[in-house]
Amino acid sequence: MQCRDVAQVIEQEGFSLLPEAARGHIAGCASCSALIADFERIVVAAVQIPAEVEPPARVWIALRAQLEAERIISEPRIAVPKESASWWPGFGPLIRGRVLATAAVALLVVAAGYFQMKRKIVDLPPTEPFAAAGTRLDQEEMSLGPIEAASLSDVSPVDNSLRENLATLNSFIKECRKRLQEDPNDQVARDYLAAAYQQKSEILAAMMERGRSVN
Amino acid sequence: MTLSPAIRRISASMLLPAMGAGLLLMPLDCFAAGQKIERHFTVKGRPVVMIQNVANGRIEVKSWKNPEIVVSASQPSNKIGLDMEQADNRIDVTASIVDASAQESELTENIQLTVPEETELQIKSQSGLIYVEQVLGDMTLESVGGDIHLREVSGYIIVKTTGGTLVCTLCGGKLKFDSVSGSAQILQPSFTNVTLYTSFGNILFDGDFIRTGIYSMKSGRGLVEVRFAGNDSFDLNAQTASGTVDNRAEAFLKPDSHGIRHSASKYAKGLFGSVGNGLAKVELSSFSGTIRILKRD
Repeated sequence: MQCRDVAQVIEQEGFSLLPEAARGHIAGCASCSALIADFERIVVAAVQIPAEVEPPARVWIALRAQLEAERIISEPRIAVPKESASWWPGFGPLIRGRVLATAAVALLVVAAGYFQMKRKIVDLPPTEPFAAAGTRLDQEEMSLGPIEAASLSDVSPVDNSLRENLATLNSFIKECRKRLQEDPNDQVARDYLAAAYQQKSEILAAMMERGRSVN
Repeated sequence: MTLSPAIRRISASMLLPAMGAGLLLMPLDCFAAGQKIERHFTVKGRPVVMIQNVANGRIEVKSWKNPEIVVSASQPSNKIGLDMEQADNRIDVTASIVDASAQESELTENIQLTVPEETELQIKSQSGLIYVEQVLGDMTLESVGGDIHLREVSGYIIVKTTGGTLVCTLCGGKLKFDSVSGSAQILQPSFTNVTLYTSFGNILFDGDFIRTGIYSMKSGRGLVEVRFAGNDSFDLNAQTASGTVDNRAEAFLKPDSHGIRHSASKYAKGLFGSVGNGLAKVELSSFSGTIRILKRD
């Protein structure tokens, strides 16, 4: 039996129960012995690998924000009713005749019902973009502890920088949200809000990585 | 115990070489702190250098013609440990804090590197300047609070900071910059692709737009200023939600030469137009800051 035959046997049948011929070859072959030793080390190492850990929420938040920023996915837009004031004067001259007037009244009833229903839907409070992501990030931030004034002498400049930037980002997020409340379809504000959440998640990750409490 | 056929194939083809390489990755040295250290590594072709500095301090990278990497480091205290290792063409340099109770002033590690001209870099630092000069190769440079200065560097350059500022002089290739409050100054560049984003910093782009290049510069609250040359050729799209667009290049900016009708959204202020034949694409944006466009003298 040659080395390649042994490799074939290992590939087809594994290396725990090798046939006699293969074992005989391996006993006298340094290369194949080393191969078997490597496999055994892999198996030992694989057993020691910890079980898969659930990634932190910020990973999904950052991922979602990035996908939304790149418009790969999107949250449902809010339909805003358009102004409709100029149709009546043009419509009035059409309902001079009795038949036309009856048809027009019927049409108006249907239209009024439709608009009433539509308005009820539209009057619902708009869904804020990235609201879930924002809430999760706020929870992550809370879990780090309260952020105090960034002038403590025992805090490193790097930690100070992270805190200050986090505080500024929070105020920027508020500004973007306010803008989006005024106009839910403002794409510029939406993009900046997504980017701000993305950066916030990265700052929180950096703070956690540094392993220091922000207390 | 048997492995599945798929795992066996993967094991044979990938894990064994990886394990072999792993044996080469054993740390070559772990230097005692509190001294000046210098190490030489012989490399071939285009090496990869990875530096991780969890301490503070300056990192300086310069190039030479020799196929050798020289790493020298200085430490004012013995609270920092420095590991260096070579795995074929990859050099890892890691500065770590040995004594967690050390004072902030003791946690400084300055690292100087001399590398072949064509070298790839991955540098991660906390604070302190990262300075790279005359290196050709892809690089990822990250810092929390430190500034990053690049001079005559070319490649796919990714820069990420929290508060650090990027100054990029005479650089080429592709650039991606992302920062929370850091600013970016791009001076005399030859980039074909630029993506700059900062939430609160300022952006200055002073240089030529390469034809067919794509340039995107965005700042949340800061100033985005572009100074272009009279013979440049680009399409411009500038938008701000609540900031201002300061167009000082009206004489050069014509309606879009490609016949596309642009309009800003109802609530955004926008400026669209072409300079020259509109060959490059330039997108400028600021949420509440100022966008300034001017032709340089």
